[in-house]
This record gives sequence, structure tokens and C-alpha cells, in this order.
Amino acid sequence: MTERTVAEKAEYLSKRRARMLPVLAVIFLSQQVTYFTTVRDLEAVPTVKISAWLVLSIVLLAALATKGFWLQPKEVRDLIDDENTRANRGDAMRWGFLISMATAIAIETLTMFDTVKARESIHIIMTAGLAAALIRWGYLERRAHRDA
Amino acid sequence: MPERLGNRIKEKRGELGLTQAELAERCGVTRKTVNTIENGVFTPSALLAIKLARSLSVPVEELFWLED
Repeated sequence: MTERTVAEKAEYLSKRRARMLPVLAVIFLSQQVTYFTTVRDLEAVPTVKISAWLVLSIVLLAALATKGFWLQPKEVRDLIDDENTRANRGDAMRWGFLISMATAIAIETLTMFDTVKARESIHIIMTAGLAAALIRWGYLERRAHRDA
Repeated sequence: MPERLGNRIKEKRGELGLTQAELAERCGVTRKTVNTIENGVFTPSALLAIKLARSLSVPVEELFWLED
């Protein structure tokens, strides 16, 4: 197997991440849809499943907030997180924040007419914010990789 | 109307026979970043604009300009 240069490796990983981000968002969202359509009550979801969701949320949030690719050498990580990636990541975080706030406002409005448990609210807000950020980042990265 | 940054990176790169990947390596960024700047999708920082100009051996104002 030929040895990849740092630039080639960064290019490969960056493309792979662009492909993976929408897939991760769909997996993350479908996991939540299952909770709310089959269980109806979040209290009834087994602790193991909730813990798995929490771990996935933390990993996705860390990937959004840091350079990611934690097991790669520093020079590869630095190159992947170049100026364009940082701008795309920042834009995705902005979208995530705005969608989280919009979801929180929607839930707050809903509580005027119905009871919404705190745990369910947190779950919905986190899911909406993270998924929005992932989808936005994935879209921007895929667009950036597209040739003219 | 929003202002856009025009550039002739592709033209200058072609004159020097450089690929996007080679130019990216000279500037310490990924090919993706050079691609987005070339296509006008991404506006680079002053630092990166100067690095690009230096790598292509042209003054920065010859490489970038404001489009009305």
C-alpha cells in the first residue's frame, strides 16, 4: 500500500466526513423518531438506550465543536480544519443554535396548551439543534468539495 | 446589492501549470478551500489571500478585486 501524504490524507478524510455527516444526522433523527412514535413516554425508554443516545449526542457535539478526527496526527487534523472548514463549522453551529432556540420557543408555546415534560423538552431541543447543525455542515462541506 | 470578491486564481494557476491540490499544499490549506475560493463560494481571509498571491507570484490586488 502506498503511503499517503498529509494533504492526500486530509482530502480523503474531509470527503469522507462530508459524505458521513448527512448519514449521521439521519441516524440520529431516526433514533429519536423511534422513541417518540413507539414508546410515547420517554420515561419508559430503557436507560441503556437513553445512555446510547446521550453518548452519540456528546460525540456529535464534540465533532462539531472541535477539529474532530481525534486519532489522526496533529498535522492532518490541522489541515482538515482549514479556513473554509472553520467557516462551514461556524455556520453550522449558528444554524444549530437558531434551530434550538426556535424549538425551545415552539415548546414554550405548546406548554400554554398542553403539558410537556422537562426531559422530553431537553431531548427535543438537543435533537433539533444537533441535527440541524449536522445537516447544514454536511451540505456546506459537500458543496465545497463539488468541482466547478 | 452585496459585493463579491472576483479572482483570477484559475487563470494564474493555469499559467504556472499548478493543480488545485498543488496550490493548496503551497498555501497550507486543503484543495477544497482553493476550489471554493476559485468558484467564488468562499471569501478568504486577508492572510490566505496574501498567501495565495505569494504562491502564484502576483500582487494580491491583481489576484482579487471587488465586483459590483
